[in-house]
Amino acid sequence: MEIGFHPAAPMDLEQAEAQGTTATRDLVARTDAEKHVVQMEARYLGLLEASPDGMVVVNPRGEIVLLNARAEKQFGYHRDELLGQKVKSIIPEGFAERLIADGTRTAAEALAQQIGTGVELYGRRKDGSEFPIDIMLSPLDSAEGILVTAAIRDISVRKDTEMHLAMTAAKYRGLLEAAPDGMIVVNHRSEIVLLNAHAEKQFRYWRDELIGQKITSIIPEGFAERLIADGTRTAAEALAQQMGTGIELTGRRKDGSEFPIEIMLSPLESAQGILVTAAVRDITVRKNAERHLAQMEARYRGLLEAAPDGMVVVNQGGDIVLLNAQSENQFGYSRDELIDQKVTNIIPEGFAERLIADGTRTAAEALAQQIGSGIELTGRRKDGSEFPIEIMLSPLKSNEGILVTAAIRDITLRKKAEKHLVQMEGRYRGLLEAAPDGMVVVNQHGEIVLLNAQSENQFGYRRDELIGQRVTNIIPDGFAERLIADGARTAAEALAQQIGTGIELTGRRKDESEFPIEIMLSPLESDQGILVTAAIRDITVRKNAELNLIQKVEDLNRSNEELEQFAYVASHDLQEPLRMVASYTQLLSRRYKGTLDADADEFIAFAVDGANRMQRLIQDLLAFSRVGKRKLELFDLPSDRALRQALLNLSGAIKQSGALVTNGLLPEVKADEVQLTQLFQNLIGNAIKYHSSGVPHIHISAARNGLPMWTFSVRDDGLGIDSQFFEKIFGMFQRLHKRDEFEGTGMGLAICKKIVERHGGSISVESKPGSGSTFHFTLAAIEATSSTAIEETNDDTSSIG
Amino acid sequence: MTIQVLLVEDSPGAVRLTREAFREANESIELHVASDGLEAMAFLRREGIHVNAERPDFILLDLNLPKMDGREVLANIKHDESLKTIPTIILTTSDAEVDIQKSYQLQANCYLTKPVQLEKFEAVVKSINDFWLTTAKLPQRR
Repeated sequence: MEIGFHPAAPMDLEQAEAQGTTATRDLVARTDAEKHVVQMEARYLGLLEASPDGMVVVNPRGEIVLLNARAEKQFGYHRDELLGQKVKSIIPEGFAERLIADGTRTAAEALAQQIGTGVELYGRRKDGSEFPIDIMLSPLDSAEGILVTAAIRDISVRKDTEMHLAMTAAKYRGLLEAAPDGMIVVNHRSEIVLLNAHAEKQFRYWRDELIGQKITSIIPEGFAERLIADGTRTAAEALAQQMGTGIELTGRRKDGSEFPIEIMLSPLESAQGILVTAAVRDITVRKNAERHLAQMEARYRGLLEAAPDGMVVVNQGGDIVLLNAQSENQFGYSRDELIDQKVTNIIPEGFAERLIADGTRTAAEALAQQIGSGIELTGRRKDGSEFPIEIMLSPLKSNEGILVTAAIRDITLRKKAEKHLVQMEGRYRGLLEAAPDGMVVVNQHGEIVLLNAQSENQFGYRRDELIGQRVTNIIPDGFAERLIADGARTAAEALAQQIGTGIELTGRRKDESEFPIEIMLSPLESDQGILVTAAIRDITVRKNAELNLIQKVEDLNRSNEELEQFAYVASHDLQEPLRMVASYTQLLSRRYKGTLDADADEFIAFAVDGANRMQRLIQDLLAFSRVGKRKLELFDLPSDRALRQALLNLSGAIKQSGALVTNGLLPEVKADEVQLTQLFQNLIGNAIKYHSSGVPHIHISAARNGLPMWTFSVRDDGLGIDSQFFEKIFGMFQRLHKRDEFEGTGMGLAICKKIVERHGGSISVESKPGSGSTFHFTLAAIEATSSTAIEETNDDTSSIG
Repeated sequence: MTIQVLLVEDSPGAVRLTREAFREANESIELHVASDGLEAMAFLRREGIHVNAERPDFILLDLNLPKMDGREVLANIKHDESLKTIPTIILTTSDAEVDIQKSYQLQANCYLTKPVQLEKFEAVVKSINDFWLTTAKLPQRR
């Protein structure tokens, strides 16, 4: 077949049309025409071959009659493999059908409908793989009828791009929807073209209500103006100025309520020109926080100013950013002189270094190490003088990064006190070591914190063996308990109860042996709380002495009792046999005197005398031992009653001697009546007996002289006693006279002494030989008003003759 | 008319002294002696060897006696209907208050402490005689 063709590539289309498209079969004309055609053909072929698109010409039967190299490449076929083939083999669907005449239209009509439109179809390569194509059709008149030229463009890349774009658009839409901020896209006419769900929420509109609306309906002021090109700049310039800055504006909700927003703008190129994307953030909370912060800041500033310590805030560069009034005082600067200055101006060493990040740690770590510890450093005042300080650091987060707040305390006084304390401590330690008693200091847990050399000796431990140990190791009972706070009292109260008392306890040595100790406690305030100092005295010797004493006293008492018992029993039991001896020798004497010889008389006389004396001795001994034997029951009694009884008992002797006995007012006393009677009787009896000539004058009186005891006096005008015998006469069986001068056993005054001493008083004598004697003895007074009436000896005498 | 006196005393020496003292005081006293409490009761009840004993007009009783002591004898005498009317005098060395109390509680007619000295003893015996056996009226023997 002959193929006459006109160029049908799109770029040649006009040309082709201009030239006309009808081919003639006129042979004559054909030669020229053929020539022309051949020329054209060649040119056309060249154009065809050069076309960047694949060119395929298809006849009305859908067969490929022509194709170019590009189409070969596109579909992976050789020309010959395709020529005459159905176009369907390379474009399975959509092509052929477009060209078919069907019942409704002619092929020409069908074709005409396709002309000029880019149709997207699928091409199939030789290897079966498919690829998206875009075809542009144009008719081509030919001798065979209308041919269709299809310019085929491989739109794989475009499709990919389109798909990619579609995905990106989808992703973008997704991102947009998911954005935490409201996202609004505005065109150059300030109309909203796009917004996300968040923006819907923020402004409480439905999307459709806003799209196409002016942005000013939701952001009344400040937005639109920023974007408008004005005389001084283009829209792009205007926009460029806003990029990247957070702008605070006010948003208006659908209900008219307003809320603070921050917007960030960014440009978006589009087919519609430059759009502006605004990320809208609702900063209500932030605004509140800022307000709160401002308040807090004010309050904080107040606290800072009021702080008793100097407060200095330092940034990471070591500059002072803030300080309070107290630190102004401490360092002698005014605030402005220190702000922005290096902190090393006021704290030369030790502060800044602590905060610096160095090779081994970050600033935060450096700071963290310092938090909470009191650090002792030296502060420097404006005048250059230095003073000891203690600083406590704490971090402070701020927009400027982590700041450090230092609370600065002037510890000059404390340092002085510490130094003083060290001195005192040295001195105290010296005293402690030198103390004669063991000194042990115990803390509230009952642990020994300190002890001296003497306590080391006492307990047989070395110091280190005891420090930190429980005091119960050396004082098992009675110490720790005294100090413990229990339900009933605090530790301080417990201790207070013990202060000042000597407490007897038992100490335990290292070798487990125990020894008696006496401890005296005193409190000691320290920073560890209240400590207890115990002065410990080893009282072994004292205890032994006490025990000895007690033992001796017991022995003595027992011995005394035995003696008294003995004396009593002896004198009592001796009486009976003695009675026999005495009585019968007297009977002998009576009945046989003068009937036996003179010797017998004399012998009997001596025997009788001896027996009699013995009897009297025994009787007196008995009387003496009775004084001690009787249980002493003291009663309040009028002493003159005992006197009267005594005088009654002595009535014989009184009558016989004609003695004149007088007495003053005698008081009530606490006494044993029988013994008091005996006492008076013995004294008065003596007074009567030891008289030379004439009538004995005897006077009994009592005086007190403001003392708690009454002093009784028995005065006589008898023989008197030489002072050398003043002690002796009160001894047992002591006599100053020979038997034949005065009778008596010498027990009378011993008995008086015993009686008086048993009553808690004392007895004595005043005398001069030839001038009589006065015996004094004391008795306890009764603490009653009646006795005070008798203060002095009253010579209202009442005599009993 | 002799006065029958029962002396209850365990010490022979004391008995003899008493006998001598009474002889001095009153020759018409017939002194019977019982040397312990049991014998005293037997005498008073005319038992055993004492079946023919004279009923005494007067009893001198020591407290510290063997076998039955004086307090018990006193109690027996003073609880016995037929004996209780006989004046019974305690004559003892003890001057203990408790003995005095007890004796009077048991209805002793009198309590006397024997003086140690002979002269004083003789004076006491004499005063017994003067008062009890001369001045005082004794109940008739029945």
